[in-house]
Amino acid sequence: MQTNVVVSIAKKEIMDNIRNKWIILVASMFAILTLVVSYFGSLGTSGWQNLGLTISGMTELGSFLISIVAFMLGYAAIIGEIERGSMSALLSLSASRFEIVVGKWLGLGAVLCFTILVGYGIAGLLIALNVSNVDILKYLAFIGLTMLFGLVFLTVAICFSTIFAKRSTALGGAIFLWFLFNIILPIVLVGLLMTTIDFTQITMASTITVPDWYFVLNLFNPISVYSTLITLAIAPVQTSTGSGLIPNPSWYSTGLLLGVLVVWVIVFFTLSVWRFQRKDI
Amino acid sequence: MVTQVVKCPACKTTIPIAGEPGEKIQLICPQCQTKGRFTIPGEKAGETTGVQTAAIDVKNLTKTYNHTPAVNNVSFCVNKGEIFGFLGPNGAGKTTTIKAMLDLIHPDAGTITINSIDVQKQGKAAKKLVGYMPEKVAFYDNLTALQNLCFYAEIKHAPKQECTQLINELGLGDTGKKRVGKFSKGMVQRLGMARAILGSPPILILDEPSGGLDPRGVVLIRDKIIEMKNKGTTVFVSSHILSEIQEICDRVGIINKGVLVAQDSVEGLSKKLNLKPQMSITVDKLSSAIEDAVKKLPGVERVESKGNTLDILCDGAMKAKVILAITNAGGNIQNLQTKEPSLEEVFMRYTEA
Repeated sequence: MQTNVVVSIAKKEIMDNIRNKWIILVASMFAILTLVVSYFGSLGTSGWQNLGLTISGMTELGSFLISIVAFMLGYAAIIGEIERGSMSALLSLSASRFEIVVGKWLGLGAVLCFTILVGYGIAGLLIALNVSNVDILKYLAFIGLTMLFGLVFLTVAICFSTIFAKRSTALGGAIFLWFLFNIILPIVLVGLLMTTIDFTQITMASTITVPDWYFVLNLFNPISVYSTLITLAIAPVQTSTGSGLIPNPSWYSTGLLLGVLVVWVIVFFTLSVWRFQRKDI
Repeated sequence: MVTQVVKCPACKTTIPIAGEPGEKIQLICPQCQTKGRFTIPGEKAGETTGVQTAAIDVKNLTKTYNHTPAVNNVSFCVNKGEIFGFLGPNGAGKTTTIKAMLDLIHPDAGTITINSIDVQKQGKAAKKLVGYMPEKVAFYDNLTALQNLCFYAEIKHAPKQECTQLINELGLGDTGKKRVGKFSKGMVQRLGMARAILGSPPILILDEPSGGLDPRGVVLIRDKIIEMKNKGTTVFVSSHILSEIQEICDRVGIINKGVLVAQDSVEGLSKKLNLKPQMSITVDKLSSAIEDAVKKLPGVERVESKGNTLDILCDGAMKAKVILAITNAGGNIQNLQTKEPSLEEVFMRYTEA
């Protein structure tokens, strides 16, 4: 692998995307909403919140918005260039398909991480100025985990852009996946769970005995994994889809959930390279 | 290399093949999918082309999309330092062939070498030798012309100063900070040419380089191609502008329905098709004696008279004798025009079926 080729492609992706008005718009919206959440808090109280409450709100906001930013950055990464015609020119140079995927992943990943850093960084700075005893390391860990979460969605989006034959289909696939992970899957899982549990006998959430299959299936949703990971590693998170109300099983650990997110990245990255190498341009 | 046409034993479809004498070739009939092996014979084979300095060597290239062959056993050579024109109607397989030459698509069969480097096995090494201008030229719309070219220069290991120089040479020097997304089609096309010749590659592959250009742009690109050839660059160019191809190309290949139907110089192809130059001679007073004198000459195919003008279709070698016959018959020549067989005629004949 030629490092200079990868670096050049990554640099180009950064230059190209920081001028993309849609990316700028969504990233700005993300930064503003983060500030709003950090001020008003996530649980209905107002004023500058403590770190735990703010992170809880930010996690839910992040799972919605960061996945959108990641999909917007990645869904056309490969197929967009193929459709436009610039991919054939790029591949006619001495750049390999593997180098192109790596370069694009790094460049788009840098844009995404920068967006998260700016959005959460400004909010963190304001919290630090207004709230005493802020655990900066925990907040940095939260930003880091959010970046990893964003990279999962970016990798999935890049993979879609190598699988689908049209940019519009890749966009459709990304939108469907966003709904699947954010809305459909949590509702379906909670629905299935309700059919197996007699809720009339339950008075406190902590007394619920949830079957293991529910937690296993949740590992296939990066959003659930992300919010659970934040709960375990940083602060308790309650999401609108009900995640957080149910106590986590003992076998859930920070390492396991972190590993799951990393596996998502590795699997979809490998699939992207494999598919792109077989694709006719 | 020996090129030959073989017949499928099952469905009798003719399949063009190419290879070295004695070479065993695996064949799949594009019509009935029958598989077979064929050994290229020695000197007695059909057409032979001695090629010692092939810049691009395509052998038995086959690519099928959804069971429809886009290119079918296409074989040709492009010699070092020549301009090779690649012609064919829309959908004939030109772009598919070019994409295979650049390892952009995966052929079903066949080999392609660039300066003896196998494109499929050592794609990166082969592509280092090539500058490519695709039919659909595209850049990164949010970047300027210079930023775009500098990006390609980094990957090509070309000096960045060359980017500014090329932008100026191709008439884009005044674009400054204007993003490529705001460029006209002609400007993008010229920038595409700059990208192709960036780093002075020894081989240029140009797919419709003049498409969408105004006449001034066409001349600019044509001059650039000639300039590159004069520097020793091998140029493979596909174009619909046949007059331009005829003007600049040393040899041409014609592809029709995925099959390479001809490759030679325009003159050579005209001879193969028995195409003859047309002379138009105006005399002060046309008489039947003059007309008869011309008609009697061997090699004269057709004589038509219009007023004092004779339109004559004859062998190229007979032109001087025609003039002599007219003057001997008492004709006083006022005007003489000769129209050589055009590439358009050659193209139409080879692609009419």
